[in-house]
Amino acid sequence: MKDFILKRIASIVLPFICIYGFYVIFHGHVSPGGSFAGGIIVGLSFIAFSTIYGIEKGRKKLPEKVLVYAESYGTLWYGILGLVGIVKGVPFLANKLAGIDMGAPGALNSGGLISLIGIGVGIRVASTMVTLFFTMMEEEK
Amino acid sequence: MREMITTNLPVFIIIAPLFVSFILPTLSKRIKLVENLVISVEILGIALAVYLVSIILAQRGMPLIYQMGGWSAPWGIELKAGSLGAFFALAIAIVGLPVALFSKGNLSVEVGAEGRTARYYTLYLLLIGALTGMALTNDLFNVYVLVEVATLSCVGLVSSQKRPQAAKAAFRYLILATIGSAFVLGGIGFIYIITGHLNMGFASQKLSDIWQNNPRVVWTAFSFMLVGFGVKSAVFPLHIWLPDAHSVAPAPASAVLSGLAVKGYLFCLLKVLYFVFGPSLMQVYSVHRILVLAGMIAIVAGSILALAQSELKRRLAFSTVAQVGYIILGFGLVNTKGLAGSLFYLLSHAVIKSALFLSAGAIVNVTGKKHIKDLAGIGKKMPVTMAAFTISSLGLVGIPLLSGFIGKWNLLLGSLETENLLPVIVIIAGSVFCAAYLFPVIRIAYFEPAPDNDLKDPGLPQKIALILLSIMIIVLGTVPGSVLELANRAAAELLAVL
Repeated sequence: MKDFILKRIASIVLPFICIYGFYVIFHGHVSPGGSFAGGIIVGLSFIAFSTIYGIEKGRKKLPEKVLVYAESYGTLWYGILGLVGIVKGVPFLANKLAGIDMGAPGALNSGGLISLIGIGVGIRVASTMVTLFFTMMEEEK
Repeated sequence: MREMITTNLPVFIIIAPLFVSFILPTLSKRIKLVENLVISVEILGIALAVYLVSIILAQRGMPLIYQMGGWSAPWGIELKAGSLGAFFALAIAIVGLPVALFSKGNLSVEVGAEGRTARYYTLYLLLIGALTGMALTNDLFNVYVLVEVATLSCVGLVSSQKRPQAAKAAFRYLILATIGSAFVLGGIGFIYIITGHLNMGFASQKLSDIWQNNPRVVWTAFSFMLVGFGVKSAVFPLHIWLPDAHSVAPAPASAVLSGLAVKGYLFCLLKVLYFVFGPSLMQVYSVHRILVLAGMIAIVAGSILALAQSELKRRLAFSTVAQVGYIILGFGLVNTKGLAGSLFYLLSHAVIKSALFLSAGAIVNVTGKKHIKDLAGIGKKMPVTMAAFTISSLGLVGIPLLSGFIGKWNLLLGSLETENLLPVIVIIAGSVFCAAYLFPVIRIAYFEPAPDNDLKDPGLPQKIALILLSIMIIVLGTVPGSVLELANRAAAELLAVL
C-alpha cells in the first residue's frame, strides 16, 4: 500500500497497541481481559503492520522460526509451571498448595503462578494469530 | 521418587505425549531425532500404562483418584484411573508403539515432504495424549475438550497426504465431526442444566434423584450423546465419513484412526452412559435396546458394504464400521460378560485393525496397487507383511487361540444371558461375513501366480512393528489372563457391582 498518512499513523499507533496487548496480558489475573484477549491484541498489532507495510516486511519482523518457537514453548511453559506442583509434592497445576506466595488480592504480583501461566498463553495466542494470518495470505497467492 | 511417580501416575501418563508433541514443531528439520523421541515417549507410555494396570490389579479395582491442582470434586477437575481407565490406557499404549515404529523412516514417502513429517508426529502425539485423557478423566467438560483435541488431530492426520482426495475427505470429516461435537456439547449442557455438576460421579448421583422431574431433558441428553458420539465413532448410519477418511490417510495414520481414535469416542460414550446416566436409567429409556439394535444393523450392513469394496484399504475401513457394531452391541447388553467381551473386543480390534492397516499400507507402498485383484502372489514376495495380514485376518474372524475369539466368545455368552437369540445369530453371521471379505485377499495373495517383479518386505522397523502386533494378537488370544481379568473388573465397575 502506498498510503502515506496510513503509514505515518500506523507507525505512531502500532507500538502502543502492542504495548497495550502486553498490558492486558500482564494484568490478566487482576483486571478484565486476560492472556487470551491480550495475546490477540499483540497478534493484531503485527497483523496490522503486515497489512499496511506488506507481507514481506511483516515476515522480516517475525520470521517463521520465531513464530514456531513461540508457539511451541509458550504451550510447554504452561505445562512446566504445572510441574511445579509435582516437584513440591502436591498435585499437578497446584498453586497456593505448592507454597507460592499469593500476594495481596488485586495487586499486580498476586495470584502466584497464574500470572506466569498467562504470559505463556499470551505469547502462544499472539504467535498463533500471526501464523494463521500469514498462512491465509500465502494461500491467496 | 517411586512414591511420587505412583501418586502422579494418571497425570504423567497423559502429559508425557503432550509435552513431547509441543516441542516437535521446533525440530522439524531433524526428522531422526523426532522419530526417536516419539518412539521413546511411546515406550515410556507402555511402561506407565503397565505400571498403572499392575497397581489397579493389586488394589483389586480400587480406582486412583487424582485431583488437579489440589481442588477436590465437585469444584476441581478429577482424574479417575479405575479398571476401565487403566484398560483403555493400556490399549492406547500397546497400539501406539508399533504404529510409531512403523512410521519410522517411512513417513516422508507417504506425507509428501520432510517438513510435513514433524507436523504429522505432533498431531499423532496430541491424539495419543487426548485419548489417554479420555481414558482417565472423570469430568464431563474435560471429555468435551479432549474429544475436540482428538477430532482436530484426526482431521489433520487424514489431510496429511498432499492429495486432493485427502483434503476432500478431511473436510467432510471435519464438518461431520464438528456436528457430532456440537451434539456432545449439547448433551453435556443438558446434564449440567438439570444436575448442576460436571463431575461424573456427582452428576450421576444427582441425576438418579431428579430425573423424574425432567424426564424429557434426560431423554434429550441421551439422544444428543448417542448421536454425537455415534457420528464420531461411525455407528452404522452415521459412518459416511469413515471410509474416505480412513482410506486416504497414510498407513500409520489409518491404523491409529481405525484402531484407537474411533475407540476413544466409543469409550467416552460408554463412560457417559454408565457413569453418568447409569444402567438403571438406560433401561428406563430403553437405550440398551437401541444400542443392541444399532450394533446388529452395523454388523450386517458394514460387512455387506465391505464385501462390495474392491480397494483393500476401503474394505478394511468398512470392516471397521462392522466391528464398531460388535462393541456397541456389547454396550447394550448391560451384563458383566457382555461388557467385558465388548471391552476385550475393543482392545483386540484396536490391535488387529492396526496390524491390518499397517500391512495393507506396506503392500500399497511397495506395489503401488490399491485393488485386491492386483495383489496376486504378494504372499511369496512379502512374507512377513502377508503373514501379519493373515494372522490378523484370522483374529478378526474370531478363530480360537487368537484375540478376536475371546472378545466374541464373551459377547456371545453375554447375549445368551439376555435370552435374546437375535444378537447371537448376528454375531456368528458377522464372523462369517468377515471371513468372506478377508479370506479372498489371503487366497489371492498366496495362491495366485506372482508377477515377475522385484518386490520385498518393508524395512526393519516396519517388520518389527508388524511382528509385535501379530505376537500381541496371539498372546492376547492364548493367555488373556490378567487383561481379561482387568476387562471383567472394568465391566463390574461399570455396573457398580464391585
